[in-house]
Amino acid sequence: MSFQSPQLTQPQVVLSGHGLVKYYGDVVGLAGVDVAVRSGEALAVMGPSGNGKTTLLHVLAGILTPDQGEVWLGGERVDQLNDAARTVLRRRRLGFVFQDNQLLAELPADENVALPFMVDGLSRRDAIGRARMVLAQVGLAAEAGRRPGELSGGQAQRVAIARALVGEPQAVFADEPTGALDAATGAQVIDLLVGAATHRGAAVVVVTHDNAVAARCHRVLRIVDGRVSESMGANQ
Amino acid sequence: MTDLGLRFVRRPGPGGRAANLAALGATAVVALLVTFLIAGSLGLAHRSDRIGWRSADRADPATAIGAIDQTDREKVDGHPMIRLDLATLHQNELPPPPGLDHTPKPGEVFVSPALAKHWSSLSKQYGVERPTGVISDKGLSSPEEFIVIRGVDTLRPDDHPQYVNSWNEDVMDSRMFGLLIAVAFGIVLVLFPILSLVGQAAGVAAKRREHRLAALRLAGATRTQVLWLSSVEQAVLGLAGAVVGLVGYTLLTPFIARIPLGGGRWFVHDITASWWNVLIVLAAVPVLSVISALIGLGRVSITPLGVVRGQTRKATSVLRLGLLVIGPIILAAYGMQAAVVPLLIGIGFAALAVRVMGPWAVQLIGKTLANLANGPVALLAGRRLADDPKGAFRPVAALVLSGFVTGFISVFMPSGDEDSSIQDMRIGVALLLALVFLTVAASTAAGAVGTALDQAAPARALRRSGVPLQVIERSSRLAAVIPVIGVGLPVVGFGALCGLALSGGKVITEGSSGLILLIGQVVVGLALVAAAGTAGSPVLRKASAN
Repeated sequence: MSFQSPQLTQPQVVLSGHGLVKYYGDVVGLAGVDVAVRSGEALAVMGPSGNGKTTLLHVLAGILTPDQGEVWLGGERVDQLNDAARTVLRRRRLGFVFQDNQLLAELPADENVALPFMVDGLSRRDAIGRARMVLAQVGLAAEAGRRPGELSGGQAQRVAIARALVGEPQAVFADEPTGALDAATGAQVIDLLVGAATHRGAAVVVVTHDNAVAARCHRVLRIVDGRVSESMGANQ
Repeated sequence: MTDLGLRFVRRPGPGGRAANLAALGATAVVALLVTFLIAGSLGLAHRSDRIGWRSADRADPATAIGAIDQTDREKVDGHPMIRLDLATLHQNELPPPPGLDHTPKPGEVFVSPALAKHWSSLSKQYGVERPTGVISDKGLSSPEEFIVIRGVDTLRPDDHPQYVNSWNEDVMDSRMFGLLIAVAFGIVLVLFPILSLVGQAAGVAAKRREHRLAALRLAGATRTQVLWLSSVEQAVLGLAGAVVGLVGYTLLTPFIARIPLGGGRWFVHDITASWWNVLIVLAAVPVLSVISALIGLGRVSITPLGVVRGQTRKATSVLRLGLLVIGPIILAAYGMQAAVVPLLIGIGFAALAVRVMGPWAVQLIGKTLANLANGPVALLAGRRLADDPKGAFRPVAALVLSGFVTGFISVFMPSGDEDSSIQDMRIGVALLLALVFLTVAASTAAGAVGTALDQAAPARALRRSGVPLQVIERSSRLAAVIPVIGVGLPVVGFGALCGLALSGGKVITEGSSGLILLIGQVVVGLALVAAAGTAGSPVLRKASAN
């Protein structure tokens, strides 16, 4: 299945951060970052290692809370929610793709994808049914019963994408999603991620070192020393 | 590789400090128990060396140099007193009995220090205002022993005296001999829990180590190099644990000496670890740790890629069930009249069967649970058990084996208060269970820490994705409890079955003591699992934090 990048007509800002500051002890992680991502838009976050890219992703996703600033998701302020509420928000309204897929090794692909639904109380049959539907959309219908160790790196990452998308999230966060893949497989995976997510109207935030990955996003935000040094279209 | 191994001990990496501490603690408990078993057995022998002569009866009455008549029917201040009448039949220059400065002449009375304090109530009966002498430690069973050794002219043949050619006959005291046999049974029963604890100590954070060593293999290290590196790391931890265990035993010795087994409390020097006992522990515990670690690493050395990629492990075979019948058959065939060794082999086989078939049962239960699960907690727990049944069984193996021990013993719980052998057996059973439960507690706690560390990475990913920590913790607790209930309870029954096989189908136990023992086992078992969960939760919470 292939996806066309949507035309950004009347796009709404789904995810935004304003004046984000984050400290790790005396070390500055973020030093006042402003960012906004629209519905159906894919934003690549680039910059040198240790300069705040992943911190920004974690703050926007509600994994970390900022020391200063605000995070908004679809009209709701995220940074003021307590830990339990942020956990529910991450499960129901956000999706995640990590570099090494972080699938549970013991669970087959369909159960990995179905797990968030089961946590939300959906019956196993319904959760697995929806999981298999999304797995089919990412081209893995035949691999639904296989465990992560029995899949190739690209296939495992597509399972992770299916898991991120199965809940119809408002935003999808990906941290170096192609870092462990070869160039060709990486290109397929990022196309799938950006295409499928933006097709659903989700905002996508991708942390990457890879220019080829950034080129497949709509916009690039460059972070240096915890600040936005540059914001531009992906092809600029 | 040696340097790298030592470096891994000094700087163990994320979660490594907790893992090393858990491994060291578990190894220390092993060292303490092994020291106790050796020193305790020697203590029985030391006691027997001092009092064995009292029950000697090796000489021809016609030529014997002396005769002894012993009775323990009298009581002083509520405690049983031994009276030993001693007659010199032929004048001799032989050394006096142990603890006496000379052989008592007719009319002379030697008493133990404890009895000397009560002599005023006995002086009239023995016709002497003051005892001739006090028996030294070298002639006493226990520091609190009540004994009087009286010199007499002759002993009546009707009293069936014992005849001796020396006052220092090298004879094994029958009560100590019985206790040594009981200790042998106890060692067999506690052996597998202890070996499980060794395995647990070596297996703490097994996945963490597996991945690190598998990465080394993939980076080009040879199988031998990987095994050597792991041996160095485990040997250092094992040696450190052995030292801690020995120090712990030394500190506990005065308290252990207060256990009134075999006729009263113990002299501290009786059960102090000898230099060669220390050497055995310092050598054996690290070696056992290393062997256990190497066995656990077989998968790394053979299929490093499988470890890194989390491929399915080989299913455990149903053929293991066949082992279950061997122990009971041996026990039933020999029965209680048989020599000790066949019985020990039978019990050993039965305990081995429990250890070997445990993972198979865990895998079966895990698959069933995962297939029936409708929620994430049961699904995660079931898949985890089915995926790594050996890893799931290892932390609770000692607890499950303790179920075998109590099930077995529950058939033989003695009744009655007066008989000294029954008192010994009761104290022995209590002591055995204390050892087993100490082993179990250490093993379960170390296992909880190891499991928490192993699950840190996937738990972190789950938490980031919005799965509540409570779901992860509940699935971990369920995965820990299921092997205990699903395998432990049947094993209690299997232990009782083995006991019945030995006794020929008779329940020796009278009254409710056996039932109390079984209920106690279940309560203690579940309490330990709950406590282990409490120990593992903070580690999991911290290790999986963002």
